[in-house]
Amino acid sequence: MYELRAVEKKFPGVRALKSVDFSISRGEIVGLVGENGAGKSTLMKVIYGAYQPDGGEILIDGKPVRFSGPRDAMERGIGMVFQEQSLITNLSVMENIFLGYEDQFSRFGVVSWRAMAKAARKQLAKVKLDIDPRTTTSSLSFAQRQLVELAKVLTLEERVQGHLVVLLDEPTSVLAEEEVKLLFKLVRELTTRASFIFVSHRMDEVMELSDRIYVMKDGQVVDVVSRGAATPETIQHKMVGRHVDKEYYREQRQKPYDTTKPLVELSGVSLPGRVHDISLTLHAGEVLCLVGTEGSGREAILRTIYGMRTPIKGALRIKGETVSRLTARGAVERGVGYVPRERKIEGIVAGMNVYENMTLSQMPRYARMGWLDVGDERDLARKWISRLSIKASSEYADCGNLSGGNQQKVVLAKWRSGGSDIMLLDHPTRGLDIGAKEDVYDMIREMCDDGVGVVLVADTLEEAIGLSHTIVVIKDGAIQKRFDCAPGSKPSLYDLLHYMI
Amino acid sequence: MDIQRLKPHLPWITLLVLVAIVGIADPSFLKPANLLSLAGDIVPLFIMALGLTFAIYIGGIDLSAQSMANMITVVASVYLAPLGIWVAALCILAGFTLGTLSGYLTTRMYVPSFISTLAVGGICFSVAQWLSGNRALNMDATQRNETFGWMIGRTGIVPHELFIALGLLAICLIIERRTTLGRALKAVGAGELAAAASGLNVARYKILAFAISGGLAAVAGLLFSVKLSGGAPTIANGFLLPAIVAVLVGGTPLTGGVGGVLNTAIGTLIVAVIRASMLYFGIAATQQQMVFGLVLIVAIALTIDRSKLRTVK
Repeated sequence: MYELRAVEKKFPGVRALKSVDFSISRGEIVGLVGENGAGKSTLMKVIYGAYQPDGGEILIDGKPVRFSGPRDAMERGIGMVFQEQSLITNLSVMENIFLGYEDQFSRFGVVSWRAMAKAARKQLAKVKLDIDPRTTTSSLSFAQRQLVELAKVLTLEERVQGHLVVLLDEPTSVLAEEEVKLLFKLVRELTTRASFIFVSHRMDEVMELSDRIYVMKDGQVVDVVSRGAATPETIQHKMVGRHVDKEYYREQRQKPYDTTKPLVELSGVSLPGRVHDISLTLHAGEVLCLVGTEGSGREAILRTIYGMRTPIKGALRIKGETVSRLTARGAVERGVGYVPRERKIEGIVAGMNVYENMTLSQMPRYARMGWLDVGDERDLARKWISRLSIKASSEYADCGNLSGGNQQKVVLAKWRSGGSDIMLLDHPTRGLDIGAKEDVYDMIREMCDDGVGVVLVADTLEEAIGLSHTIVVIKDGAIQKRFDCAPGSKPSLYDLLHYMI
Repeated sequence: MDIQRLKPHLPWITLLVLVAIVGIADPSFLKPANLLSLAGDIVPLFIMALGLTFAIYIGGIDLSAQSMANMITVVASVYLAPLGIWVAALCILAGFTLGTLSGYLTTRMYVPSFISTLAVGGICFSVAQWLSGNRALNMDATQRNETFGWMIGRTGIVPHELFIALGLLAICLIIERRTTLGRALKAVGAGELAAAASGLNVARYKILAFAISGGLAAVAGLLFSVKLSGGAPTIANGFLLPAIVAVLVGGTPLTGGVGGVLNTAIGTLIVAVIRASMLYFGIAATQQQMVFGLVLIVAIALTIDRSKLRTVK
């Protein structure tokens, strides 16, 4: 009943969706899986109307349609249950359910709360949630809020002619096991009212719930698997299965690290929230990769080493010295460099030029009594521009106007030129084209040759396996398993996935 | 030539166009003596705007500047007799300290700067009322001339205030362009999160920006009281709006990160010309703030960087 035919979506420099065909029929539950950057979220946004496709067509019951926005899609029966919940927490449950559609309960602009509560109760009954619709949303549990969100989407049933399609984006990521079971039971029952598109990182759940599974990779649907026709491993393989040789990750340049020189030691570190009891050691010349799903705590660990998060338990040692109350400033002084995931927001300062960005973390080195030596700064920038072949018109170029790969090189040059020997790289190749990725891989190997220790959160599992000396698998804030990754005896994707999910 | 490339040049083009318009309407306006005395008269406002530039450059605002100047006129008038020249140190220290307080409230207590500075401004105003007994005070004319007479004399046709203004502008310009402080303030204004992720002590630099703003507002107040040979808790009212206008029409947007003190110098001259032109065109003093209010809205709308704003409240 809902169908996409040869849908295309382009962004500057990327073809995010390449001729995607997708269909869902009445009462069906369809799974959607893919790695980060495979195009899942773009596809979802096209489905619920947030993006307009650049090519192909959208059909409902065989008739082509065009959505001008999510609200337009909703009028045609397409609803979205967001992962980051879209409820407004200081409003009551019923106000949230009917947000934007209060007119039906109001006369001369005055809302009849009684009528709204009655209607809300009816909606809540659909999702079997027995709460007072007047409850303030913030007092509900996460699972309850998710059901309210689902109930909100199901109000479309009364408003819209025809059948509903409901997207569930990572609905289980923060639910406990019993809550997941209840949700799945509910979704199966609700197939009398709607079709569901289920997006999740957890392969076992997708397999359990879905009638068919769309597997995405590099902006394409690479396979459609029916229930029971495949094992989680074969699907995983299709998700990631591009052929990558060892050259790509510069494995031949991977040398053993120096076990006698520990740079960073975490022992029994716990953070506010889920991360607990993390113990690991980073050595000179080592690439230590933190592997885990989104929200498993990888980034929090990086930020702890950089002094942006403070442990509530355990000890952090940098180069043999126990540090408490570490600040980012203090981390930088101890030789830690941080390449954040949000390159444009935390990596570079747009509006400042190349040399200003490069010396930002090490201004005292280029200043006497607070007086900057701009000549020295420019020399430094010119040197690194040629050394890393950064494509910038000059050291005066605004970093905000550089391409992603060149911005990343500026960020890396900032830390390398300051002599940082502990590098924390969070998705350093995210959004880069292949050439720029290879440059980054080369730089990582060069850093290791210089005795730098690297903590890496990789963009893909293959990248993690290819680059690392050591892999630490993290799940729900705790270390599951440590792998040694000497060239020739690297763990397989399956080995890692086994501990991740 | 597209609008984006033209934008950095708009302030001085605006200035020249305004001068030309007023000059055509009244050729005597263009006499050097007239232009210089016009510039000299605007110096207290300029110094206040200079300080405000630092607060706005980092993406904040300092609404306490006017009350600060008010308070300082009273402080200067009361303590000139016992302290002599040291009253200047007292004034600047008071401004710097209260600016630090605003900065502390903003960075450590997470009180947005428009509220923290408004509150500190309220405190200043009340101190001024209390200290002056809510009356206008006069300085002893002889003592004023002995101590601060050098500030307000003339050499040839050049008012001395202009030397003070140029001196302060040069210092601020050097801070902005040539020191780690200036670089850090630029980074905080243009990309605070990236500055923090580079290990900068963002809070300290923000506090310093507000402290400098407070200190310069105090200098403005001191000069103003010397000029008028006295002080009162409301004597500098009417400064705040034109000072903010000066910063914004100069090309430092409320979102921060671009522009700077040189822009504010041009912006202040634009304000001076607008003010003078209102005299020529017969707009009453009571109506001037209306004009500045309108210019302020236009200036904000033209300069603000909308890509940095998610929501406006």
